[in-house]
Formats: sequence, C-alpha cells, structure tokens
Amino acid sequence: MLIDMHIHPIFYGPICGDETEVAFRGDTFGVWKQGPMEFDELFAEWDVCGLTRAALLPLDVTTTVGGWVVSNDQVEALCKLHPDKFYGFASVDPHRPDALEVLERAFCQQGLRGLKLNPSKQRFDPADERMEPIYALCERENKPILFHAGLSWEPDAPAKYAHPLAFEEVAIRHPGLRFCLAHFAWPWVREMAMLMIKYPNVYTDTALLYVDSPEEQMMELFTKDMGPMWFERCFPRQVMFGSNGPRFRAFKLKRALDKVPMRDFARENLYWKNALRFLSGEEV
Amino acid sequence: MVVLKTIRHLSKDVEEYFNITQQVHDIVRESGVKNGLVAVITAHTTTGILVNEALPCVEADIAEMLEKTVPLEAPYLHAHFLPTYGATSNNSQGHLKSVLTGNHCLFPVIDGQIVCGGAQDIYLAEFDGPQLRKVYVEVMGE
Repeated sequence: MLIDMHIHPIFYGPICGDETEVAFRGDTFGVWKQGPMEFDELFAEWDVCGLTRAALLPLDVTTTVGGWVVSNDQVEALCKLHPDKFYGFASVDPHRPDALEVLERAFCQQGLRGLKLNPSKQRFDPADERMEPIYALCERENKPILFHAGLSWEPDAPAKYAHPLAFEEVAIRHPGLRFCLAHFAWPWVREMAMLMIKYPNVYTDTALLYVDSPEEQMMELFTKDMGPMWFERCFPRQVMFGSNGPRFRAFKLKRALDKVPMRDFARENLYWKNALRFLSGEEV
Repeated sequence: MVVLKTIRHLSKDVEEYFNITQQVHDIVRESGVKNGLVAVITAHTTTGILVNEALPCVEADIAEMLEKTVPLEAPYLHAHFLPTYGATSNNSQGHLKSVLTGNHCLFPVIDGQIVCGGAQDIYLAEFDGPQLRKVYVEVMGE
C-alpha cells in the first residue's frame, strides 16, 4: 500500500471546466506549462508505483489573492467521484471573518478529513493567538492540519512564516493536535528533526525535490541532511510519503525512496501507516 | 494536397514501445493522397519515433542498448527546479533517449499505400511515461 499525503489537484480534469479559474490557480500556485489531466492518465501514474490513496489539498487565499487554489467544494466533489481513492482536506483563509463557519461546514457537512494551511501564502504567523480558535476546532473535531513549511515556490510567499521554529509554540500549546510540517521544511531539515524528536504530534512528509534528481535528493535527505539512522531511531512514526503533485511525480519519489536503506517497519510506516495514524489519530 | 491526422496514446508505463504501424497505414490509405510522402512526428521531447522489426527480442535489445547508453542515474544537469514550470525537471534520461531515437520517420507513398520493407514497423517510444501522447501523421502529395 502507498498513500500520497500531498497532492494539489489543480489540474484534475473534472474541476478544470473554467479556463480562467485554472489559469488563476496556476499563477497563484506558481505552476505553468501543465494542463488538465483526466483520471485515466492520473491513475496510470498511480499504478506505476502502487499508489492506492492520496490526500487532496485545496487552498483558500480569499483575502490575500482573491480566490481559491482549488476550493473545499471542489475537493468534496472529487472525493465523491472516487471515495475509495481520495482523502479530501479543507482549507480556510484565517483572515476571513467567517473562517470558523467555513471550517465547521467542511468538517461536519462536507466530510473533509483535515485542514491545509500555508502560512507563507496566506500570510499568518502560525503561533499568532488569532489562530487559536482554528486549532481548537481541529482538536475538537479530531482533524489533523497539514501546514506548508520551508521553501515555497509560490509567488509572494515569504519563507519566514514557514520556518519550523515558527510552529513550536503550536506544538507546546496543543499536544493533542496532530500537524504536519510538509516538505520536511526544507532546507531546515535539522530543525524539523528537532521538532519531531521533541513533539510526537508533529509530522512531516517527503514532498521535496528542489535541487537534485529524486534519487540524489532522497538519499541526501535520509542519509546526509539527517544521520542515516535518525528516521528509524528517533521519529519512525512521523514521516509520511508525499509527492507535492503536480510539482513532482509520485512514482519518481517512490522509486528513489525504495533505494534508501531502511528497515521494513520504517518503510511501511513511511509509505502508509503514518498517514493513516495522522488522519485518524488511532493506532494502525 | 496535405492531410494531417493525430494519433493519441496514453502510455501506461515509464518506458514503452507502442506499435503504431497499422494506424499510420490506415491514415495514409484514408487520406486520398495517391503519390507523395508520409511524415510521422512526435509532439514531445521525451518520446521517440522508431522504425524497426516488431519482435520482442529486438524491442528488448533496443531498450537495453538505450538504458546502457543513457542510464537513469547519472549527474545530469537537467535535474533541478525549473522556475518557468514551477516543477522539477528530472527527466534527462527521457530527453536523451529521445535524441538517440529521433522524433520522426518518413515513408514514400505510391498508389495510396506506404512503401516499406516487410520488417519495418513504426513505434511511438515512450521514455517518460505514463503520459497522454500525441503523434502527428502528415500525408503530403497528389
């Protein structure tokens, strides 16, 4: 089994009927020269690497950019088309006055499984007291949060809001809130490791491929950026497989990770068990 | 007279040799062109157009030769984030195999039929699949 915890369904065919909207998504997210893809093409790629399920991430940038890079409604619609394949996440712009209502509807009526936030693009400090009601709602509803962390290729998205240390206060205040700092918070891998060692509710994912080939970058990540045993020894329950599609292709990351030496239990955790625990909070 | 048709193919694997011979012959027959030339041209830079014998052993030998010549893991420069795409490249192997195979082939057309050897099959070679691919078939003549 393989679960991809990091997909932006920007070009998923069924939600690409409006060309202007698709162009807005591309420009806002910072991805170009790609176009709508139908499910047969997407799932052909899944089949190559044995991908079985994926988390779909929207982004609400209503107050900062004036729209959504895939909306909660669109994620809900995609999930209804393939409920056996997708875990739908919600998003909410923390600056909007009706943020809690949007989120409550997403969790309680739309069946969405977690919350996606991007402090860089949405321009907020994760430790800001104004975020507390959102975190409290996620905790009450047992929904995890996936934060963008580290380098962001999106335009107008300062990295200062996405440094791992910006999230430590959240981990201290909310030990019962599961949250993922995505992309291994690259380039701040050691700071990311520090947080995971100290806070068992803090997760990350493998959605990074910024400077090298997949084989090179995954080997660097697991054996040089970190000590080669750190994942297995120190936080084997906190790293999830994520591809960051459409920026990176899942099967190439999987191919590269298959070559990184690790014990079977750690690989199982990485490929699917940690994702299931992150989503539900229950032991797998 | 010029007739342009497009063959669409969804590759299902990372590397794949898809035989399009019959489709190209059909397009030529249906084009109305009696005497001229047919060009088969891929629309992509990580695919190739090959002409060779459609035997599994030949396909395997071609694939093996290309893999030895252009291995997956090598210090290619085209392995970094591309700001103009907002995505990472990492398909140099596909580009280089495409260079080796070429992007097109040509055949004469006489009396409305392709003139070719009996062992000459036409392949769309996928080197960065799975992807939806397009091949242009242009029949030119009178």
